[in-house]
Amino acid sequence: MIPLRIRIDIEGPHRGKRVIKLVSDLAKEVLTSPSLTSGNCAELVATFPSERVFKWGDHYIRIKGNAEDEIVGDVCLFNFEKGYADRLIRGNSKHNTLVVTEQCDQLCIMCSQPPKKTHHDQFHELYHACLLADSGKIIGISGGEPTLYKEELFSLIKDVNKQRPDLQFHILTNAQHFSVDDLEYLKSFRGNVLWAVPLYAAHPVIHDTIVAKAGAYERLLASLSLLVQAGAQVELRTVVMQQNISELPDIAKVIKTHLPFIQHWAIMQLENIGFARNRWSKTFFDHSIDFSGIAAAAAYTLASGIETRFFNFPLCTIPPAWRPYAEQTISDWKQRFDTPCLNCSVQEQCGGFFEWHPSARSYEAWGEI
Amino acid sequence: MITFPLRFRELDSNRLLFSNEAGRSFIGSRSFLDRYVHDSLCESDKAFLSENGLAIDDADKLGALGYLTTLAARLPVQKQIDYLILVPTLRCNLSCSYCQVSRASENAKGFDWSDDTTHKAISFLKNLPISSHIKIEFQGGEPLLRTDILDKVMREVSKERPDSSFVICSNLSNLGPEQIKLFQEYNVVLSTSLDGPAETHKHNRTKNEGATRRFLDNLDRFRDLFDGERISALPTIDLTDPPSTESLLDSYDALGITSIYLRPVNHQGFARKRGLGLDDALSSWLDYYRKAVDEIIHRNSQRSKNLLEEYSLTLAIKRILRPGIDNNVDLRNPAPLGLDYLVIDYDGKIYPTDEARMLGRIGRIDLSLGRIGGELNYERIRDLNSQSFNNIDPDCQHCVYQPYCGSDVVDDLSRYGRIDIPRHDTYFCRRQTDLFDLATSLLCSKDLHVLHSLCAWLNLPELPDQIIPVHNDTA
Repeated sequence: MIPLRIRIDIEGPHRGKRVIKLVSDLAKEVLTSPSLTSGNCAELVATFPSERVFKWGDHYIRIKGNAEDEIVGDVCLFNFEKGYADRLIRGNSKHNTLVVTEQCDQLCIMCSQPPKKTHHDQFHELYHACLLADSGKIIGISGGEPTLYKEELFSLIKDVNKQRPDLQFHILTNAQHFSVDDLEYLKSFRGNVLWAVPLYAAHPVIHDTIVAKAGAYERLLASLSLLVQAGAQVELRTVVMQQNISELPDIAKVIKTHLPFIQHWAIMQLENIGFARNRWSKTFFDHSIDFSGIAAAAAYTLASGIETRFFNFPLCTIPPAWRPYAEQTISDWKQRFDTPCLNCSVQEQCGGFFEWHPSARSYEAWGEI
Repeated sequence: MITFPLRFRELDSNRLLFSNEAGRSFIGSRSFLDRYVHDSLCESDKAFLSENGLAIDDADKLGALGYLTTLAARLPVQKQIDYLILVPTLRCNLSCSYCQVSRASENAKGFDWSDDTTHKAISFLKNLPISSHIKIEFQGGEPLLRTDILDKVMREVSKERPDSSFVICSNLSNLGPEQIKLFQEYNVVLSTSLDGPAETHKHNRTKNEGATRRFLDNLDRFRDLFDGERISALPTIDLTDPPSTESLLDSYDALGITSIYLRPVNHQGFARKRGLGLDDALSSWLDYYRKAVDEIIHRNSQRSKNLLEEYSLTLAIKRILRPGIDNNVDLRNPAPLGLDYLVIDYDGKIYPTDEARMLGRIGRIDLSLGRIGGELNYERIRDLNSQSFNNIDPDCQHCVYQPYCGSDVVDDLSRYGRIDIPRHDTYFCRRQTDLFDLATSLLCSKDLHVLHSLCAWLNLPELPDQIIPVHNDTA
C-alpha cells in the first residue's frame, strides 16, 4: 500500500499547518510554474536510505520513510506540531482525492467511508494545494458529501479555476443539495468539473432504501435536471449489489430516456470496507458466477451510444468479450494483486483488487489469464 | 401525458416501424396504429410509450430534458471549417470509363494549381478560424502527379496545425520514391480505388494488362511498406457490367480490407453520358447492394474475426440507434453546404462539395462560392442552405426515417435541375429509404447470422434483447 501520510521532522519551533510542494529543482520548476516560490516549495537536497532532506526557505525538513517512495512532486499538508504530512496531491499518481468533509446526509448500506458527525474545515489549505498541483491534473473531491459545504466548495472551484484553468475536478456527490440558484455556478464549472453521481435503482423505493434516505431518488432526479440544464458533465455511478442487480435493465432504460446527456455510466463493484464489510454476505453480488444481467444492461446502453464502463471489476472475473470495458479504477494506493495475479498476462491492464478485499476469495471464478 | 408525434412505416402486414422527431423508435402493430390515430391508447400502450421515452408525464421534467437532449443531438450545430478537399491537378494518367470529375489528360496544360493558387491556398489553410487541427483530402485528377504541391501543403499545414491529418486519393499507377516519401514523412493515408477482380478493374480503369499489373503491384508494395496500415480502398460499381458480388468481396478479402464502401457510379462527369436510365439504375443498384450485404452476412457467419462491413449500411444503422453520429458528409442532417467543409479546385475556385465542382465542370450549374484569396459568396451559401436540412421538408416531416436521414441539394440539382420536387420522387430519397428499410429489417431480425454481423458492425460484445423495442400489444 502506498502511504498517504508521512512522518516529518523539522528543526526549531514551527506551529500550525502549511501546504508545501516537494520539488527536485526549484529554479527549473519556477520557469514553467510561476506560482511556485521558496515559501511554498521544499527542494530536495539529500537522500538517505531511510530519509530525505528538503530545504524549505532557511529550514531543513526531514522526511522519514523508504526513499523508494516517489514523493517528489507531491503537494503535502504539513502538520509541524504533530510531525506528519498528508500527501494531498501526489505528483506521480492519477488518483488524488481531497476529502472536504466526512459528514453525509445519506447512510448508504454499503458505504466504504462511513460518515462522521464532526467537520474539520480545510478548504483554505485545499485551495492552496490545488494552486500548487502539476499542470493538467485531475483532482478528485469526495467526502462524506462535499455539497453539504456547497458555498465553500463552489468558492474553492471558482477561485482555483480562475488561477488554474488547466485543472479538472472530479467531484463525487449524492446530488441532494443543488438548487435553481446554483445554475450559474454549475454553468461556469462545466468545462472543469465532472460530477460523479450515484443512481442505484430505477424505482424510488429501492434507491431510497439503499441510501437510507426517504425522498432521495426524487431529489436526485431534480438535481440531475439542474445539471443537464447547466450543461454540466455527469458520470452516473451504479454500485451493483444483491439489492439492485435486478434493477439494472430498468436503470439502463432510464438512462436512455432520461439521462442521455451523461458522459458515461459506471457500473461498479463493491468495496469490502466500511459498512459493506459487515454486510458482505447480504450485499455482495458475485458477477463472476452470473454476468448476464450486467451484460444485458450494458449492451442496451452501449447499443444506444451511451458510454458504459465497469469500475472495480478484476478482468479474470468477467467474460473475455467484455474485458475491454473494464477500467483500471482502483486507486493505486489501495490496489492489490493476489498471488495468482503474479503470473497473469493481463495484470498491467487490470485494476486488481482492493487492498482490503478478503483474499479475493469472494469471487467464485477468478485466476490468472 | 404527452405523446411525441409519431410517424410510421409498414414493415409487413401487421408490423410497423414507428418513430418520432428525436429518432426514438419501436415496432408496433396495426391495431396500435388504429388506437393511436383515434386517440384511444390503452393503459399498456401508454406504459410502453412512457417506458421507452416516447411519451412523458406532465410532471416529468427530467424526462422532457432527456427527450430534448436526444432531439438536440440529432440536430448538430454547424461547426467551423475543419475539412477540405484539395484538387491540386485535374490531370490524370488514367482514363476511367466512368470518370466523374471529367479529368484532363496527363499532358494537358492549365489544369494544375498555379504557384499563386498554391500560395493562397496554404495561407487560407493556415488562417482558418478553427484553432485546432484540420483534415485535408487530396483529390484529382491524380494528385500524386504533383508531389511537389502535396509536400508543400502538408509541410506548411503540419507546421501550423500539428495534429492535422491527410488523405491522398490516388489511382496508384505510380508509386516511386517521391510518392513513398510523402507517406513516410506525414500523417497521411492512402485512399485508392479497387473495382473488384483484376478483369473488372482493367475494364473500368486501367484498360490494359500492363497498367493493371502495375496497379496491383503498387498496392502490394504499399501494404508491405506500411504493414497493411494507412490504406483504404473502395470500389465504384458500374452497373452496366458489375462484377459478381462474390468476386468483388473476394478481392477485398484478399487484401484484408474489412470495411467496404459500396457506391454506384455517380451521376456525374463522363458517367452522365452513358449507362442506364435513372429508374433502371436505381433498381439494379438496390438489387446489387442487397445481394452484396447478404453475401457479407454469409461470409461473416463463418468467421469470428475480421468480419466485413458495408460502410454506408453500418453508418445508417448507427444513425438509427445513436443520436449524434454526424461526421460523414454523405449522410447527415443538417447537411450544411459551404460552412464546415470546402473544395478548392484546380483553378482556385471554391465549391461546397466535390460533386458541386463536377457539376461546374460540365456546365450544368455553377455552384462555386468564390475564388481562393477572395471573399466567399455568403449569399449563395445561404441560398444553398435553405434546403440543406430535412426537418421542415413537407415529405420528410412525415417520414419515419427523417431523423436518421439527410439531404443532398447538389444531387437534386444535378439530376433534376431544381430542389423542390417531391422528396420520394428523388433518387436520393429512394436510395436512402431502401437503405433504411434494409437496416430496419436487419435490426429486427432474429437470424443468428444477422445478429453475429450486427455485433461486429456496432462493435458490441453482445446485443441487447431487442435492439428496436417491440410493443407486443394484445389489446
